[in-house]
Amino acid sequence: MTDRPDVAIKTRPAILVQNAVKSFSGRVVVDIDELTLGDVPIEGLIGPNGAGKTTLMRMIMHSTSLDRGTITLRPSGRTGAEAVVLSRLPSHRMARHGVVKSNQVVMDFDKLTIWDSLLLAAVGSKYEQPHRIFGEARVFDENAAEINRYLDFFGFGDPSSFAKSAGEKKLLDIVRCLLLKPRFLLLDEPTAGLPEEVTAKVMEEVRRLAARGTSVVIVEHNLDVIWNLCDEVHFMAEGRVIMKGTPQEIRAHKTVVEKYLGEGHV
Amino acid sequence: MNLDWLDAFLIYGLFTVCIITGLALLLHLQLGLARIANFGVVGFFGIGMYTFGVLYVKVDWPFADPWQFFVCLLGGTLVAGLSGLLVGWLTADLNEDGVLVGTLGFATAVFILATTEKDITGGAQGMGGLGFPYDVGGVKANETLWLLIAAVVMAAILYYVWRVHRSPYGRLLVAVGANEPLARSLGKPTFRTKLWVFAVSSAGMGLLGAVYGVMERFLRPTNLGIDITLAAMVALVLGGSARVWGAVVGVVVTVGFFDIVVQSYLPLPREWYSQTIPVLREALFGAALIIVLMFRPVGILGDMRRDKLMRSMHGD
Repeated sequence: MTDRPDVAIKTRPAILVQNAVKSFSGRVVVDIDELTLGDVPIEGLIGPNGAGKTTLMRMIMHSTSLDRGTITLRPSGRTGAEAVVLSRLPSHRMARHGVVKSNQVVMDFDKLTIWDSLLLAAVGSKYEQPHRIFGEARVFDENAAEINRYLDFFGFGDPSSFAKSAGEKKLLDIVRCLLLKPRFLLLDEPTAGLPEEVTAKVMEEVRRLAARGTSVVIVEHNLDVIWNLCDEVHFMAEGRVIMKGTPQEIRAHKTVVEKYLGEGHV
Repeated sequence: MNLDWLDAFLIYGLFTVCIITGLALLLHLQLGLARIANFGVVGFFGIGMYTFGVLYVKVDWPFADPWQFFVCLLGGTLVAGLSGLLVGWLTADLNEDGVLVGTLGFATAVFILATTEKDITGGAQGMGGLGFPYDVGGVKANETLWLLIAAVVMAAILYYVWRVHRSPYGRLLVAVGANEPLARSLGKPTFRTKLWVFAVSSAGMGLLGAVYGVMERFLRPTNLGIDITLAAMVALVLGGSARVWGAVVGVVVTVGFFDIVVQSYLPLPREWYSQTIPVLREALFGAALIIVLMFRPVGILGDMRRDKLMRSMHGD
């Protein structure tokens, strides 16, 4: 599995998780000795409920603090490049290093329209200063084309109104992540609650992004997405990665997967 | 121009309307957009007023008015802004209760300092010596001009707030107020954002305090009562805390109605003026707030309408 001749390996950003432990009220939720994410373009993270997948994602984003251990970003994937210790950064600095995560639960800004939400993600921080009160037209001109491309591609409704359904909010969350121009994208159940044709479009966009050098990690309960999309799959249970391999290799361990996920998932 | 209708009462009433509207507009940036419930408005107002007064009266400036005035005004504004930075830094990560207690405590501290630091502030007896930085002939002419200046300051704040709603900065404030973790995940420095909106609007409150102090001419700690915070807060919530014009509408129907219409034009008994009217005012404001929160919690103008705003700015 590691000897696949993938040329992109050397230029992809990677995240190293070392001795990372997190427990909630005494129960160890994540306990990972060593894990490298980003060796291949698209990786899947699967496992039963409570395996620690979402917690691990949140630990990478430092929206959940680590009990101990470190999480490091290797920006270009080469060992020589300046590494960034993510587990020491405040969570709002992640996006600047290109590390972006979509949310498992539906998250939205009350009172902000779709346009607002997307412009907010796309705009540079220099426009968001108390004295910059005339920047809107410029920000709109700079970003409207890219935003419109996503709006058309995913088939959004009127962008001047609010995201109404849970699915639309979920999709909006993903598009916000795309507008941040991620170099390492974490997707936490991106297709939950989305109609099938939109799921296909999300997968198409994820593939396009990965082809341009972004490392993608997906947590997903819809295993069809995992089998179709991922180059490598990590199987998590009880806070650890217990198996790692290509989708074919993971599916070959039918007994293990079915023990955790139930029959019919392979 | 015949200005006989503009008596001292009306000048003072209109002046109060301008000042409270300015405060309510700045509070709108904090409360309506970034959801920071600042109950210490009068603290920043008072810091600006007293800093201006002390600098103006106690310091020997090598230059006279209007430069002396402008330098002191700048000083009052800056010190209020710095105290906003400090209080913001202490409270920005607290929950609503923490912010309430922290800001209320700050306002109390300012009041106590103004009372106890007799050498600097004159203590409870107050400090005189302030005046208009000009003389255009007669008390009424001077006060009328000062009213106009206060109106211009208020209009400038209104314009700023109006522009903030139409800028990426305003969008950031709304986002931080609505969902801070989500804003952080989009790379927004939410703590710094709250800190700066708090400091900038506190500086504005300090500026208004200095403008108010000039009209009062005599600074007393009783100028720093909670009634100023309450007037701004009640007016804003009544008018619509999330709307630009909420502050304006709210102040007109509360302070404007009471301080101008009721006090000047209703035949109230003379003996009411010193004791009864201020209490009546607070009671009516409180009652108005309860009624609004019961029947229209979003205020007279209603909730923020970003959808309409986006349509008007960026087409359909």
